[in-house]
Amino acid sequence: MAISRREIIKTGLAAGAAVSIPAVLRAQTLPADARTVRVVKPGFLTVFDPVATTTYNSADHGLAVYDTLFALDSKFIPQPQMVGKWSISEDKMTYTFELRDGLGWHDGTPVNAADCVASIRRWGQVHPGGQLIMARAKDISKKDDKTFTIALKEPLGLLIDILADLTTPCLFVMREKDASRPATEQVTANIGSGPFKFNHALARPGATFTYDRNEQYVPRSETSDGFAGGKVVKVDRVIWNNMPDQQTAVAALQAGEIDFLSGPPADLYPVIESDPNLELQVLNKAGDVYFLRMNCLQKPFNNVKARQAMLHLIDQEAFMRAVVGNPQYFNTITAAFGSGTPYANDENTGWFKKGGDPEKAKQLFKEAGYTGEKVIILDPTDWHEADVAAQLLADSLRKVGINAELAPSDWGGVSARLKNRGPVEGGGWSIFITNESTFDRSNLFNSTQVANGESGFAGWPKSDEYEALRAKWADAETLDERKALARKMQRLYWNFVGTVLLGQAVSPIARRKTLTGLIGMPALTPMWKMEKA
Amino acid sequence: MAAYILRRMLSTIAVMAMVGIFVFLLLRLAPGDPAAMMAGKAATAERIAAIREQLGLNDPVPIQFVRWVRDMLGGDFGISIFAGRPVLELISQRLEPTLSLSILTMILSVTIGVCFGILAAWRTGGLVDRLLTAFSAFGYSVPVFVIGYFLIYFFAIRIHWLPVQGYVPIDRGLGPWFAHLILPTVALGLGYIAFIARVTRASMLEVLSEDYMRTAAAKGASSYAILFHHALKNAGVPILTVIGISFAYLIGGVVLTETVFNIPGIGRLVVDAINNRDYPIIQSVLILTSGLYVLINLAVDLSYTLVDPRIRY
Repeated sequence: MAISRREIIKTGLAAGAAVSIPAVLRAQTLPADARTVRVVKPGFLTVFDPVATTTYNSADHGLAVYDTLFALDSKFIPQPQMVGKWSISEDKMTYTFELRDGLGWHDGTPVNAADCVASIRRWGQVHPGGQLIMARAKDISKKDDKTFTIALKEPLGLLIDILADLTTPCLFVMREKDASRPATEQVTANIGSGPFKFNHALARPGATFTYDRNEQYVPRSETSDGFAGGKVVKVDRVIWNNMPDQQTAVAALQAGEIDFLSGPPADLYPVIESDPNLELQVLNKAGDVYFLRMNCLQKPFNNVKARQAMLHLIDQEAFMRAVVGNPQYFNTITAAFGSGTPYANDENTGWFKKGGDPEKAKQLFKEAGYTGEKVIILDPTDWHEADVAAQLLADSLRKVGINAELAPSDWGGVSARLKNRGPVEGGGWSIFITNESTFDRSNLFNSTQVANGESGFAGWPKSDEYEALRAKWADAETLDERKALARKMQRLYWNFVGTVLLGQAVSPIARRKTLTGLIGMPALTPMWKMEKA
Repeated sequence: MAAYILRRMLSTIAVMAMVGIFVFLLLRLAPGDPAAMMAGKAATAERIAAIREQLGLNDPVPIQFVRWVRDMLGGDFGISIFAGRPVLELISQRLEPTLSLSILTMILSVTIGVCFGILAAWRTGGLVDRLLTAFSAFGYSVPVFVIGYFLIYFFAIRIHWLPVQGYVPIDRGLGPWFAHLILPTVALGLGYIAFIARVTRASMLEVLSEDYMRTAAAKGASSYAILFHHALKNAGVPILTVIGISFAYLIGGVVLTETVFNIPGIGRLVVDAINNRDYPIIQSVLILTSGLYVLINLAVDLSYTLVDPRIRY
């Protein structure tokens, strides 16, 4: 068959066009602006108001849009942020705060002391530490446009620490008109005084949110250190994408369509590690603690022996192998107030045994008078880690003769059922699994660290002796005093068993190597300081 | 015909009313609580109860239902519990990606599926027929996410021709819009191509075995004329039915493709809303989807008159 020159040219041109079209199309789809950072975090942002919820994504949103009066540095020491100067009266009853210069809302108006007062009052409705401040406060009021005071009925040594607390909901300062709403009503104006402005025009709830650099923001002069110091923004825009499929997210990271992926799935770590453009980085070195809570109001866990049995039953290493996989990213934990935190200690941790102690657990269940009651384990199937842990837990319980049954549902179903304090026959529950930042466990105002019975967090453990020590903890003036109290509290905690620990895990983030300057702090990921080459 | 259309439109209202009651009750009976989702994992029961009160979720269900119906009849589909924005605004943001993906998928599926079906019927029992039958089995049996991941790996990661994920609105350029939809369209379309090809083949084979086809061939009509002028028109009714059902299904059923390719469409909106128990969004999307489903079916029924003059309404 003869092929003419014209046919060869036509074929060549057609082939060239066919090959180049996709490249042209792709070139049009890549972000042209190298000063735009695209991030993906699991769970996504569903609640804009960081005071109305305890979710970390809302707090990350809050860190970008709002500012805080104080902030923790990398050693977890509170440092002034919006506050320029502050003082305490000699009788330690009155705190006076003066705002620093240059603070302004995104709508162009200046930040006023009245905004701070309203914000403290609103946050004080929901944060356990804030509630303590409100209970002790005689008066919180504005003195002039830049000055406000907190006058106390009795001294509160931890006041500055509480104002700087990063346990959610954090104290984000909002405009007075926003902060005047009750804390149950969401603030959705997203107008703060923080280093980023929320771009309403580009907001696509459930899909993507855009944060633009706040040109008017005046950072502190100190070097950035943890959440404290100068919040210097080095990019023009951060786009936060919702990408429900983690495999797609990793592919997007490989292709350069995103720059940062929080919590990539552990089974894809090798893929990330083998890509020369990507890097795994542990930002939150303290990581998260996985733990289970038991319904202390119902059989069998209304008997403390049954709760102690759970403490002996759990083989933390097995749970972490199942949940996390790679031993590089997990370890066991015995301290009630978080490992690596200021209050971590080894008091009353004799229950810990490598591999668990099922025989001891069996004996304790017997002593608790267990007679085959059904034990319902809530199993959130849309949360992989908790789902795996729930299945392993059911198996471990069955092996020691407990009539364990999984109750699978999505997390929405779990949270709804948690409210039921009744017996399992009436739709109640026996055990549920969750996690929280290790750092949060060192905060004794955290709801999961409270043992005040039915007015506390799901599980409702009760110990008056422990609560009395917890009240003293807030008044302790020095770190050493608080450490000593933490030891005493831990002795009690592992006796009444408010929680059973399953292990501690760190979750690296994945990023393109061109993205640097990320701040490594517990739980939250600020957007300032990051740079893109 | 006008009376028929009017009757069908009235039946649409009845269908939507039934869907509304069913969806509303189902959501209230199903486990889950938007207040608990909003408060976060570490929230206390008191805090959750306060949010429930604020959202009006403690009101009796009949009162909530009447309030919802009254607002909806006034054109107010409610405010998203989480986003705090009007539900219709959120739906309209998500409509374009889903419609784009659905329309492109239908164009691809109908074009290729009908051609494959005709080809297989024309060469029935031969190599082409067997190959196309094998292709149909493949298209049916391989899940969309498997195809999706393979396409992403090959076209986006290996040879860097197309983007991995995302959606670019059409007003930001036809090129980027199309580039982002090529892979999801192919992944989603494969199953529909197989489905339409099989129905077309079966329908064509039935018509081709009729006496009047043999007569046309005996009179010297060309293969083209037999296939396209005589057979395809007579085989059209089942093909149109399948296309209509497929399109209606696509509008509400593309969630897996939207998830794999990170397309912010209606499917993802509903799934996120279900996970968060964002009642106003779930209710509104299901009501609107059911209405759309009925209207598409009506359009399909009316289109029968175009291919079969014996059908009259």
